Amino acid sequence: MTPLFAADPAAAFGQFVLIGLVSGLLYALIALGYTMVYGIVELINFAHGDLFMLGCFLSLEVCLLVGARTQSEAGTPAGLAAVALMLVAAPLFCAALNVAVDRAVYKPLRTAPKLAPLVSAIGVSFVFMGVGLFWKGATDVTFPDLLGPRVTDPAAAPPEPANLLDGTGLRFTFKDLMVVLVTLPTMAALTLFVRYTTLGKAMRATAQNPTAAQLMGINVDRVIAATFALGGALAGVGSVVYSLYFNTVNYQMGFQNGVYAFTAAVLGGIGNIPGAVLGGIMIGLVKTLGGAYIGSEWSEALIFAILVVVLIFRPNGLLGARTREKV
Amino acid sequence: MDRRRFLAAATGLAAGSMAGCGGCGGSKDTRPVLKILSSFPRTGSAQGQTDTIVNGIKMAIEDFGGEVAGHRIDYVDADDATASSGKWEAAAEAKNARDAVADDDVMVFIGPYNSGAAKVSMPILNEGGVLQISPAATWPGLTKKQPGDTTGEPEVYRPAKRVTFCRVCPTDDVQGPLSADFVKETLTAKKVYILHDNELYGDGIAGLFEARCRAIGLEILGGGRRPIVHTQTSFREITEQVRALNPDMVYFGGTTQTAAGKLVKDLRASRVTCPVMVPDGCYEQAFLDSASAQDLANVYATIGGTDPSMLKGKGKEFVEKYKAKYTKEPEAYAVYGYEAAAVFLAAAKKVGRKDREAILKACLETKDFEGGVVGKWSFDADGDTTLQQLTISKVEGGKFVPQKTVDKK
Amino acid sequence: MSPRAVLSAAWLPVLFLALAALPFVPDKQVGLYAQQLTPIFILALLALGLNVVVGYTGLLHLGIAAFFGIGAYTVGILTVQTFPFQLAFPVAVLVGVLASAALGVATTAPTLRLRGDYLALVTMGFGLIIVFVIRNLDAITEGTRGLNPVTPKLLPGVDDPDLRPIRPANLGWGRYWYDYPYFYLLCLGLLALTNVLLRNLERSRLGRAWVALREDELAASCMGLNPARLKLTAIALGAAIAGLAGGLYAVAQQTTGGPEAYDFNRSMITLCCVILGGLGNRPGVLLGVFLLVGYDMVLTPVLDTYVQKREFQELFPAWMQGKQYLKVSGWRLFIFGAALIVMMRFRPSGLLPAARTKHELG
Repeated sequence: MTPLFAADPAAAFGQFVLIGLVSGLLYALIALGYTMVYGIVELINFAHGDLFMLGCFLSLEVCLLVGARTQSEAGTPAGLAAVALMLVAAPLFCAALNVAVDRAVYKPLRTAPKLAPLVSAIGVSFVFMGVGLFWKGATDVTFPDLLGPRVTDPAAAPPEPANLLDGTGLRFTFKDLMVVLVTLPTMAALTLFVRYTTLGKAMRATAQNPTAAQLMGINVDRVIAATFALGGALAGVGSVVYSLYFNTVNYQMGFQNGVYAFTAAVLGGIGNIPGAVLGGIMIGLVKTLGGAYIGSEWSEALIFAILVVVLIFRPNGLLGARTREKV
Repeated sequence: MDRRRFLAAATGLAAGSMAGCGGCGGSKDTRPVLKILSSFPRTGSAQGQTDTIVNGIKMAIEDFGGEVAGHRIDYVDADDATASSGKWEAAAEAKNARDAVADDDVMVFIGPYNSGAAKVSMPILNEGGVLQISPAATWPGLTKKQPGDTTGEPEVYRPAKRVTFCRVCPTDDVQGPLSADFVKETLTAKKVYILHDNELYGDGIAGLFEARCRAIGLEILGGGRRPIVHTQTSFREITEQVRALNPDMVYFGGTTQTAAGKLVKDLRASRVTCPVMVPDGCYEQAFLDSASAQDLANVYATIGGTDPSMLKGKGKEFVEKYKAKYTKEPEAYAVYGYEAAAVFLAAAKKVGRKDREAILKACLETKDFEGGVVGKWSFDADGDTTLQQLTISKVEGGKFVPQKTVDKK
Repeated sequence: MSPRAVLSAAWLPVLFLALAALPFVPDKQVGLYAQQLTPIFILALLALGLNVVVGYTGLLHLGIAAFFGIGAYTVGILTVQTFPFQLAFPVAVLVGVLASAALGVATTAPTLRLRGDYLALVTMGFGLIIVFVIRNLDAITEGTRGLNPVTPKLLPGVDDPDLRPIRPANLGWGRYWYDYPYFYLLCLGLLALTNVLLRNLERSRLGRAWVALREDELAASCMGLNPARLKLTAIALGAAIAGLAGGLYAVAQQTTGGPEAYDFNRSMITLCCVILGGLGNRPGVLLGVFLLVGYDMVLTPVLDTYVQKREFQELFPAWMQGKQYLKVSGWRLFIFGAALIVMMRFRPSGLLPAARTKHELG
């Protein structure tokens, strides 16, 4: 095999790390939804990835509604309005949908054997995919690049986006910055919320022992609904950032991203918020660096191999606490 | 509910599915039937392209008045894709082929769309002695031995030791090399980077392109063609490598369904602004929809034969009729759908009776056929068309604009 | 025995006999439909294999399709013309079965101490890895193209007999042993055999030990059972049956297909079948496969053709024509999803619950 990087191996490595970190943050954002729901109701919510996909479709619908169809609207009032509206609409939509599904599907199964809600979640995932298929069809659909450089002449090649790390040999555009600016504060806010607010404390109490929490006067049903709402909202934020970053949406994207995010959550220790972030970043890095230096056809196999190895040696994930087996 | 009521319900469903077709042919028409069965990915992202092929087939049947020699033409539009995968699946293609063999009314199997799927259906249909005409499977190894081949192509597809498969579209050994020549002569590229989707068609055409590039002295960057995994969320780790090597052009052997649009987008995101070339698997509206006009600004796509907009005479009439009937432009493969059905119907008319064997023979012997819309052509001994043409188009303003049509020397 | 008991004991054998008689029904149309049942029998075998792991032993395995793929590709590699082996079918299938079982044990052994959900995840990861391995090892598996054609000899050293002379006229009977109805009957026979084997196993010491383990691992080990060994036997048997199904699948299609045929989706749908029918209950599992796979592979194409014939789409405005929702197959995901949700809500133990689970879940 010939050397891959004729120019500057160190800069190339740095660039891959940057790409890995940014995409890792996106996976982490989706992973948080898995981890929070699992922490409270011990449900692997298979439908979470597909909820994220529906969020992406809604964001696209918002763009079309506001009239921001192409990159020519980047930076214009219509474009900015579309982004702002998306950041409100998608989280609301996903949160509402997640809560509705919880009420209709998972809630009646709270006392059922553990397999029942898991299977229902697979069912919900199928239904969401069906909705996505009817909504946008089966092809890849392009998502307007509203955060790229503005295009004035659609026939010409697109103008170069401004490089925030100019002169270092690395490229870090406004789009990359946007991912960081949205995800990091969201995660920080979530951590503070869970740690210091009353509802957050109630969530942690419910996670530890639902019965005891109920005895202490916590409305467990409301706490669970709030968790689903929060998880859904995170998927919604994730979908907006993701769509604006990658600019391609597809009804099957939920599965792929869901599996990454889910793996991230487990890798970090499911139920553990910093763990999900760590897991997401790890997956982003493994995928990018593995893809670059081993071959992209092996990067996914590598991710799952790492997952299996980590679980064999640390059965509760990297940051997961050793939990007692519920008997 | 107790167990027996469930069983009763289940048995009822079974009986329903078994008898499901009892009423299908319930019309009063008593003419004997000749069936055309087509097998294309009708669900999923290839649907735009296959819709147009199916429309082409339907128009050919209509042009024959829905019958030949007193036989009513019955057309079954079967799907070889599943909703869950969104692309063709071996199981579905094999099922369609077996259905065709088992049903004595089926005289021809038109399809498939994908060369990989052809590998599955060809042996089954060959064994069963059913004529197969593909309007779109372009991997040359399906009919002719390729240099350096170790898989025993094409004999492995012919267990009955004879030819039953033919195709009306030019093959990739026209497309790949002529594309390479265009890259050298018109794009004046010196260094090329080649990617492919690791499927029979994509890898195959990228290989033919690569071989021609080496022969005419173009430098292949990265040590040879490289695969992508089309289901991945992004290809940035590959496109960054492409950028580091600074190629004059990038070739992608793949289809819209294997993420050509996303790849172009990621190339542009990594600031690879050189021309990108894609083969006929991307020559469709769905490809144009899968990336923005800016990203596609410097993209070339090739198609065997000519673009529908360039057709003359009967071809032009066809395009106008198509537009009037379906209120949209035909896509590139509509003409081959028409051609496949027309060449079969002409052969059936000549034979004049319901006889698989005779129609098969008559169809494969077709010489100087002009009953279709792409001009005059013949089948050669391997079942390939003698039409050896390539059109290279550039994407401009969200449309394919033909640049050049070349013939194989 | 009371008539009722006779009925409940006899319906399955009667069903098998009826299916075995189908190819002899003197009607071409019946033959056309019957040959579509072959893949259903094969997927039923796969589901029975998964049922050993999930249903009997209670290990949630999300990667059963990997063993299905190992079986299919082993048979493919050992029989296609591209490779020098070209073994006869029984030998190749036996190797496939053993390879699947060995791989099952090898991949499960290090993960035995994981809890339920984590184990599920590792099995899912394993299933995904196998798909990528199949996809990437081009030189052995032909990558996404699949090995082709898989038409092995029935017996070592003997050319396949041409069976045309013995077939009745006009019933759609094929030429070689891997054609309809010979292969149909072979798959049906193997399914019946597996069924009998599992029935006897359920009543054996091993079968009861598995159930004990599923119900309460701690209590079971206190009673002197060895959980690790029991889990490994279950996975070995489940993987072996899945491997057998895979081998049959490759021959039924005459190709291994691409790696997609053995991906997570296949595992999920198989799990759905097992759960829909009734976890741990063989007849239930068979019913689940029959309903879900039958809907997907037999019913939808028939209904779609019917709808197409009636020019149903032309009733709608042009922009709606050709859309997914105007096709029966387009509703597939909804039907699968809704079936699972509704089942879990109203009948969590499946359509035909095992007597024991029924007792527990009510």
